[in-house]
Amino acid sequence: MIGLSAYLTLAALVFSIGLFGVLTRRNAIGILLGIELMLNAVNINLVAFARFSGNVTGLVFTLFTISITVAEVAVGLAIVIAIFRVRRTVEADRLDLLRG
Amino acid sequence: MTLETVGFWVVAVVLLASSLAVVLTPNLFHAVLYLAAALVATGVVFLLLDQPFLFAVQLLLYAGGVVTIVVFAIMLTERLVGERLVQTSRHLVNGAIVAAAVFVGVAGFLIRAPLEAPHPFQSMDTTAAIGRALFGPFAITLELLGVLLVVALLGALYFARSEE
Amino acid sequence: MGASVWLPLSVLALPFVAFVLLAVVAPLRRAGRPAGLVSIVAMALAFAAAVTVWTRGLVVEATWTWLPADGGPIASVGLLVDSLSTAMLVLVTLVSLLVQVYSLAYLHDEPPASLGRYYTYQSLFAFSMLGLVLAPGFLQMFMFWELVGLCSYLLIGYWYDRPAAARAAVKAFWITKLGDVGFIVGIVLLWAATGTFEFTELFEKAQAVSGLPLIMFLIYLGAVGKSAQFPLHVWLPDAMEGPTPVSALIHAATMVTAGVFMVTRAEPLFALVPEVLTLIAWVGAFTALLAATMACVEGDIKRVLAYSTVSQLGYMMAAAGAGAAQAGFLHLLTHGLFKALLFLAAGAVIHAVGTNDVFRMGGLFRAMPQTGIVFIVGTLALAGVPPLAGFFSKEAVLGGVWEAHLTGPFLMLALTALLTAFYMFRVVFIAFFGRAHAAGHPHEAPWLMRGPLWILALLTVLVGISLALGGVEGPEESPGWLAPLSVGLALVGFLLAWAMYQRGAIAPARVAAALAPLDYMARRRYGLDALYGGLYRGLMLGFSRLVGWVDRYLVDGLLNVLSALTLRGGHRLRAIQSGRAQDYVYGVAFGVLLLFVWAQLWR
Repeated sequence: MIGLSAYLTLAALVFSIGLFGVLTRRNAIGILLGIELMLNAVNINLVAFARFSGNVTGLVFTLFTISITVAEVAVGLAIVIAIFRVRRTVEADRLDLLRG
Repeated sequence: MTLETVGFWVVAVVLLASSLAVVLTPNLFHAVLYLAAALVATGVVFLLLDQPFLFAVQLLLYAGGVVTIVVFAIMLTERLVGERLVQTSRHLVNGAIVAAAVFVGVAGFLIRAPLEAPHPFQSMDTTAAIGRALFGPFAITLELLGVLLVVALLGALYFARSEE
Repeated sequence: MGASVWLPLSVLALPFVAFVLLAVVAPLRRAGRPAGLVSIVAMALAFAAAVTVWTRGLVVEATWTWLPADGGPIASVGLLVDSLSTAMLVLVTLVSLLVQVYSLAYLHDEPPASLGRYYTYQSLFAFSMLGLVLAPGFLQMFMFWELVGLCSYLLIGYWYDRPAAARAAVKAFWITKLGDVGFIVGIVLLWAATGTFEFTELFEKAQAVSGLPLIMFLIYLGAVGKSAQFPLHVWLPDAMEGPTPVSALIHAATMVTAGVFMVTRAEPLFALVPEVLTLIAWVGAFTALLAATMACVEGDIKRVLAYSTVSQLGYMMAAAGAGAAQAGFLHLLTHGLFKALLFLAAGAVIHAVGTNDVFRMGGLFRAMPQTGIVFIVGTLALAGVPPLAGFFSKEAVLGGVWEAHLTGPFLMLALTALLTAFYMFRVVFIAFFGRAHAAGHPHEAPWLMRGPLWILALLTVLVGISLALGGVEGPEESPGWLAPLSVGLALVGFLLAWAMYQRGAIAPARVAAALAPLDYMARRRYGLDALYGGLYRGLMLGFSRLVGWVDRYLVDGLLNVLSALTLRGGHRLRAIQSGRAQDYVYGVAFGVLLLFVWAQLWR
């Protein structure tokens, strides 16, 4: 029987892989892909908990998360395109205007 | 060895493999495709968890919408013609260590947490339950989500406008 | 405290009051001559009191507890008045008084503020010296010993804007300090063994002390420094940079005799360690001979007298070492009189001629007959010609050394007697007789200077006559041939000097050539000064280089390392603020990890 912990472990692994991608990717869009993976893992978590506790709130939460993620991707990519237009690059190394 | 177990393991392997590919492959375009695969695999996971509605939503919104948007963004930001989309990463080791540490931390909690036994499968129509919940206790949240989507739409439009 | 303590106490207190008055009341001091008068009046009263103590034959011992403790006081101060200290009281107050009067004329041209400073120091010195001779124990003696050393430094360096004088003052201080280290170590060791500093108690308890020879040797080292014994004699000739009255007072009659006084005072202790006494005798005799040879080639009149003082101090120490401390002390007293006389007379000559160099003087007897007469009186006393005082004390010293069967020292002292007569008459013949070289018009000194000269000359004669009549206390069994021997030696010395310098029968240059090695060494003071200078420079420079190294590389180095670490650390930390959002995610991840850890711990 596949228990709750199996799903949660799977989700944790995907989350870590996504984190790895966020930390190491140079291209801004690559970073966004990593974020997608992390959010995905969160979704798996939510659905697994909802399934194993019989509570529907988890599923509703998942729906909301998916929606918000889509919105976030849209806005994020719009920003990336805007940056590209100004600086002609989307390499994360070169975007250091926050430098203090 | 039940069907469920086999299915889980297959899906797990696919999901993990494609996730690794997303973060490791140098070609950005390939990374997006691998992401699509990972998203589909996640949908199948939802199926395994008896949520067909969510499986459908995942395919529609994620694998369909998000991947499409990302592809468009790639095309707009990289010079596709005559140039390979090469992507290198830096500080691989550092990232690996931190990511592994986070995983270990989470796993630590998992091991110690008392988890409930799985409920037997209820042939309840979960979709109906979701619908009732959305228009019941979560109605206001649903409306706010709508507002958020409008704002996101406006934001994306604003950022992506051409300079005139 | 009986009534009889007031008189000796007043001898001590009068110069102290004068010193405090002059030190505190600045307008009085800056006035110059009035300050001198204050000091002189105090000194005269002290002298009168000292004479009274002497004539009454007072014997007093009074102590006051200074550092109380459960098992008896750790330290006391007080007065010990007996024949020894009474004689010193009279000598010190007399010579101080005469010198202070003389100084009024000698330092006539000094600015008033400087003159006031001079008399302040003079009063302080008198107080210190009197405190030293009245000390009932080693501790008080040591305190005043150091105070006297300080006054010597102040007075040698009176003309402090002269580099030579400043150097001489520091040199005197340093060299005597070397001896003083031994002194204080010895005193403390003695106290540790017996529990007391006081002389009367020490004389009883010292028998049982183990390691007494070493202790007494250390204490003797103090006398080596203060009384200019070999090898710590090098400061005395240079101390002549101070004004001549200072030389007369401090470096002839009083301060340098403190060492001899201390050995005499502690004679019962030294008697317990005959090996140390023998050493004292040998060192004393050797010093006497060494200094006499250096005086023979010296051209500066004050330096000749300085070497002569060193030589005579050697005589006194040799007598003390031979167990004839009384003879040594008698020589101390007589020498104080005629050496002060000689110095003051030399001062009159220098004042008149303007130079110290005898080879630039000549035929002064015609121009300054009175000074010439008193100088010759002093010379005769120093050479040991009867019936002047010096003869009796010198004979007593020689007799004591002979009785103790110390043949080596005796021979050295005998040769020294010959040389003493020789070099003194050499000076007399070159400076006072012969062709006149002196520029200008040498004239007799003013009465303020001549008065003390005549007083001292008269005392020299009178003391000699009284000794002749009254007999000398000392070894009764002096060999019969001793008196003729000492007179004969003096005669030979005189004839030699007369032949070489007055008659020109024997050319001094040929004698110098004949004794070439000795002459060479004597002129260079046997290399001792160079040795000390080299050691001093080497040690001081080496030490200062070491300290400098430590300061630059350890102290500064520590600070530099710290600052470098800070700079580098800051440089590294700056990388955190890269401005790249990706790096900030690292920070978030770290924070999450920390939260995990914290949550785990919370379980």
